[in-house]
Amino acid sequence: MSNIDRRTLVRGSLAAMMAGAAFSRAALAQSAEPILLGVSGPLTGPNAQYGAQWKQGFDLALDEIHAAGGINGRKLAYQFEDSQSDPRQSVAIAQKFVSDPRIVMELGDFSSPASMAASPIYQRGGLVQFGFTNSHPDFTKGGDFMWSTSVSQADEQPLLASYAVRRLGLKKLAVLHLNTDWGRTSRDHFVKAAKEYGAEIAVTEGYIAEERDFRSTLVRVRDASPDGLILISYYSDGALIARQARQVGLKQTICAASSVYSPKFLELGGEAVEHVHLGTRYFPEDPRPEVKKFIAGFKVKYNGQEPDAFNAYSYDAMNMAAAVVKIGGTDRRAIRDAFAKVKDVSSVIYGQATFDVESRRVKGAMNAELVVRKGQFALWDGKPT
Amino acid sequence: MSSWLDYTINGLIVGNVYALVAVGLALIFGVSRLINFAQGSIYLVGAYIGWVAVVRLHTPLPLTIIVVAAATAVVGLIIERFGLRPLQNSVRIAPLLATIGISFVLDQLVMLTFSPNPRALPSQLPDVRFQLGGGTIGPLDLLIAGVGLTSALLLFVFLRYTKLGWAVRATAQDRDAAMQMGVDVNRVNQAVFGIAAALGGVSGMLVGMYYNQIDTAMSLQATLKGVVAEVVGGAGNVPGAVIGSLLLGLVESYGVAVFGTSYRNLFAFLLLVVVLVLRPNGLFASARQAPPEPLTGTFIAPSRPVRIPRWALLVAAAAFAVLPFFPVSSYVLQTLINAWLLGMLALSLTLVAGTIGQVSLGHAALLAIGAYTSALLSLTLAVPVGLAVIGGGLMSAALGTLLISPSFRLRGHYVSIATLAIGEIVSLVILNWESVTRGPIGISGIPPLSLFGHDLISPLSVYWFSFAVMLVLALVQGRLLGSHLGRSFRAIRDDDIAARAYGLSLNRYKSLAFIFGGFAAGVSGGIAAHLYSYINHETFNTQQSILALTVVILGGLGNVVGAIVGSVALVGLPELFRIAAEYRILIYGIVLLLLVRFRPQGLLGTI
Repeated sequence: MSNIDRRTLVRGSLAAMMAGAAFSRAALAQSAEPILLGVSGPLTGPNAQYGAQWKQGFDLALDEIHAAGGINGRKLAYQFEDSQSDPRQSVAIAQKFVSDPRIVMELGDFSSPASMAASPIYQRGGLVQFGFTNSHPDFTKGGDFMWSTSVSQADEQPLLASYAVRRLGLKKLAVLHLNTDWGRTSRDHFVKAAKEYGAEIAVTEGYIAEERDFRSTLVRVRDASPDGLILISYYSDGALIARQARQVGLKQTICAASSVYSPKFLELGGEAVEHVHLGTRYFPEDPRPEVKKFIAGFKVKYNGQEPDAFNAYSYDAMNMAAAVVKIGGTDRRAIRDAFAKVKDVSSVIYGQATFDVESRRVKGAMNAELVVRKGQFALWDGKPT
Repeated sequence: MSSWLDYTINGLIVGNVYALVAVGLALIFGVSRLINFAQGSIYLVGAYIGWVAVVRLHTPLPLTIIVVAAATAVVGLIIERFGLRPLQNSVRIAPLLATIGISFVLDQLVMLTFSPNPRALPSQLPDVRFQLGGGTIGPLDLLIAGVGLTSALLLFVFLRYTKLGWAVRATAQDRDAAMQMGVDVNRVNQAVFGIAAALGGVSGMLVGMYYNQIDTAMSLQATLKGVVAEVVGGAGNVPGAVIGSLLLGLVESYGVAVFGTSYRNLFAFLLLVVVLVLRPNGLFASARQAPPEPLTGTFIAPSRPVRIPRWALLVAAAAFAVLPFFPVSSYVLQTLINAWLLGMLALSLTLVAGTIGQVSLGHAALLAIGAYTSALLSLTLAVPVGLAVIGGGLMSAALGTLLISPSFRLRGHYVSIATLAIGEIVSLVILNWESVTRGPIGISGIPPLSLFGHDLISPLSVYWFSFAVMLVLALVQGRLLGSHLGRSFRAIRDDDIAARAYGLSLNRYKSLAFIFGGFAAGVSGGIAAHLYSYINHETFNTQQSILALTVVILGGLGNVVGAIVGSVALVGLPELFRIAAEYRILIYGIVLLLLVRFRPQGLLGTI
C-alpha cells in the first residue's frame, strides 16, 4: 500500500521535473533578465573546496563587471550546478544546460573525467564549454565548442624547469607528482625541459590524490641523492610533502609548480615550506594593474583573505566570459565565434589573453619566480637558499 | 641496508595511525557484527571539534583530548540511539546501509559548517625531533602510539575482566542468549558506541595534528584503511586490529620501497585479499573461535516481496518507452539514461548480492573492466561499437568472475570486504598498467554508440537503446529467478550448508551468478564509455560501488523491479534536490536514512 504511494511519488516528481523544464523553455529571456552562464563544478564531494574557490573568483569578477555597467546594460549571472566532479552528473547537467535556452555558454567542469564526458553533449548541442581549469591535452580536441584558458603544461613546465635548473642551478632532480592526468602530463613536460637544460632526473614518483603519508616515498627520494625536489602538487599535498621531507631530514632545495600558490600552502606547511621556490603567474607585489585590482578587490570582498591560483583562474574566466558575451551577444554560435575574435582581454594569469584559434587555448602565461620568506610569498631575490 | 630500517620505521609509524581507526571499528564489529561506515565520519567530526578547541578556544592538549572524546562520544550515542537501535530487529544489512547514510549526513554537516577548504590543525606538543635511523620522529608519533596501544590494552582488560566487558562479549557471541541471561543489550551497545566514537574522534584529532591538516575528504580514506587493517587482524579482535594496522603500514612501506609510490595501495589491498583467502577470520583469530557470521543466512532476511501485477509492469514499461514522444527535455532523458545505466549495474548487483547472497562492495570494477574493454576494442582494433560493448560485457563476466573466485569461500561481511579490495585493485591496476590503459591520462576520443552502422547520438536514441538493453537484461534475469537455477541461487543464500547437503556445488553456482552479473555490469560500463567519450581510472570509483549497493538494498535485495525503481529514485532524487545546491547531498542522506528506518527490507522487498 505505502509502496504504491512512494512509486507515485517518484513518478510525480519526475513529472514535476518535466513540467519545470517545459516552463523554463517557455519563459523567453527578456532584456531585463540577466545573461545567464551555466557552471558545472563540484560543490560537494571530495573536490568541493575548488568549487567554493571558483565561486569567490566569479563573484568578485561579476561585481566589477556590474560596476562597469554590465554587458551593454544587462547584468551577467551564473547558475552553478553541483556535479561532484562525477561524470554521471556532469552529463546530466550538460543536457540541462543545453536544453535551457537562457544559458548562453557553460564554464567547467573541474576534473577531466567529468569535463570530457560532457564535451560530446556540449559539442552536439552547440553550447560552448569553456573549461578554464582543463589542462588535459585532449580537452579542446573534443570539438570547436571547447575552449580553455587553462595554462597549458607544455607552456608552464619549461618555465619551472628553467627556474630550477638554470636559475637555481639544480643538477640532479627528484620529481614528485600527483598521479592524475594533470600531474602526469606536467611531469612529462617538466622532465623533457629539465633534461634539455642539462639536469639529470634522479627519480620520479607519482602519488594518488588521497595520499597523506610520504615518508617512505621520501626515503626513495633520499636514496637517489638528488640536489633538488620538484613538487608537481596542489597546495594541500604539496604542504604535506614539504613538511614530511623536512621531518625525515631532507634539506634539499624544493621547487614547486604554480598550483601550490595559495595562502593555504603557507598555513598548512608552516615552517617546513620556508625557502620553497615556486613559479607562479602573479604575485602579491606584482606591479601589473590588473593584478593589483584583483588582489585589492579580493581582500576587500573576502575579509582580508589572500586570493590563490584557483580564485585567479575563475576570476579570469568570468572576465573572459564577459568579454566574449560582449562581442557575441546571446546567440550560442555567435558566442563560439566570438572566442576567436576577443583580443587582449585583461587577465591576471596572462596579462593580456588572446585565443590561439587553432588550439582553442591561450598561450604565453605570465611568469614570476617566487620563494617563501618569513612565511610570505616573495619575489626571489636571486640569493641561494 | 639502513634504508630498510627507515622503511620499517616509516611503516610502523603510519601503521600506528591506521590502528587508531581500526581499534574503534574492531570494537563495534565485535559487538554488533557491523562494519561501521560512519566511523570515518566520527573521525572527521573529532578532527574539526579539535580544531575549534585548539584554534578558537586555545585549550591545552589534555583538555582538548577530553573535549573531543566527550563530544564525539555523544555523537556516537546519538547514532546508536536514533540511527541504529530502531533497526535492531530488522534485516542485518539495514544497519550497514544506515551507517552509510549517517556518514553522508555527518560529512556534509561538517562541510557546510566549516567549508570544504583544508585547515591547519597545529600540534600542541613541543617541536622536538628524535633521530631514529635515517629520519626523525616527534613526540606526536609517540603520543599516537601511546594512545593506540593504551586503548587497545584498556579495551582488552575491559572486555576480559569487567562485568560490562563480559556482557559485551556475551552479546557479541549470542545476542538472544545474552538477553535471556538478563544482559541489557542496549546498554552494552550504547557503551560500545560511545567508547568507539570517543576513540575515533580523538584519533581524527591526533592524525590531523600529525599532518597539520584536516579536510572533509579524510573520512572515506580513514574508513577504507581502517577496515583493511581491522579485517587483516581479525574482525572484532581489538589487539589483532593493532597488529593488523602495523602490518598494513609495513606492507605499504615495503611496497613503495620495491615498486614505487604509485603501487602503494595495491599492496594494501592485495594483503587484505591474501589474508582473507588464507585465513578468513583474520591472522589472529583462534581456531576454536566461534564463526564470525551465523551459520545460516540471517544476513539477508527473507521478507514478503510486494507483488506488482504484470499489467502494471507492462504499462510502466510502455510509458517509459513512449516517454520521448512527449515534450520532455533532454535533461530528463539524460537523467533517465543515467538511471538505466545504473539499473543495469543494479541488476547485476541484486543478482549476486540479493539472490545468491554475495554482497559486493567493488562492483564499479566490473563497470571499469567493461568500459575499458569496449573502448579499447573499438579504438585500437576498430571493432564496431555494438560488438565492442558486448565484448566489454563478456570480458567483465570472465575477468570479474576470475578475480572474485578466490573469495567464494567467504561469507557475509567478508565477501563485501574482499570485493571492496578487489574493486580497489582493479582501479589501481588500471592506473599503473600504462601500456594498455594509458594510465592517468585515460582514454579519450572513444567513438559514440552505434548500431548497424548508424550512430546513436541524440539523447532520444541513446535513451531507447539503453532502456531496451536494460529491459532485455531485466527480462532474462526475471526468467532466471523463476527457474530451477534461481531457486538454487536462493537456496545457497538462505542456507549454504543445507544447499551443499542437497548436492549443489556452491562455487559453480556462485560463478554462474557472477558471470551473468558481470555481463550486465560490463555492458553498462561499455555503454557509459561510448557515451562519455573519455574515461580514466577515476571514472568508475568506490562511490559508484556504494551507490549501486544502496540502490539494491533500497529496491529490495534480489528484486529485479526493485533494482530499477531504486535506480530511478537514487539518480532522480539528487537531481530533484539540485535546487538545494550545497545541501542536496545532506538531504539525500537524510532521505536515505528515513527509507532505511521505515522500510529496511527495501521498497519492494526481498525476493
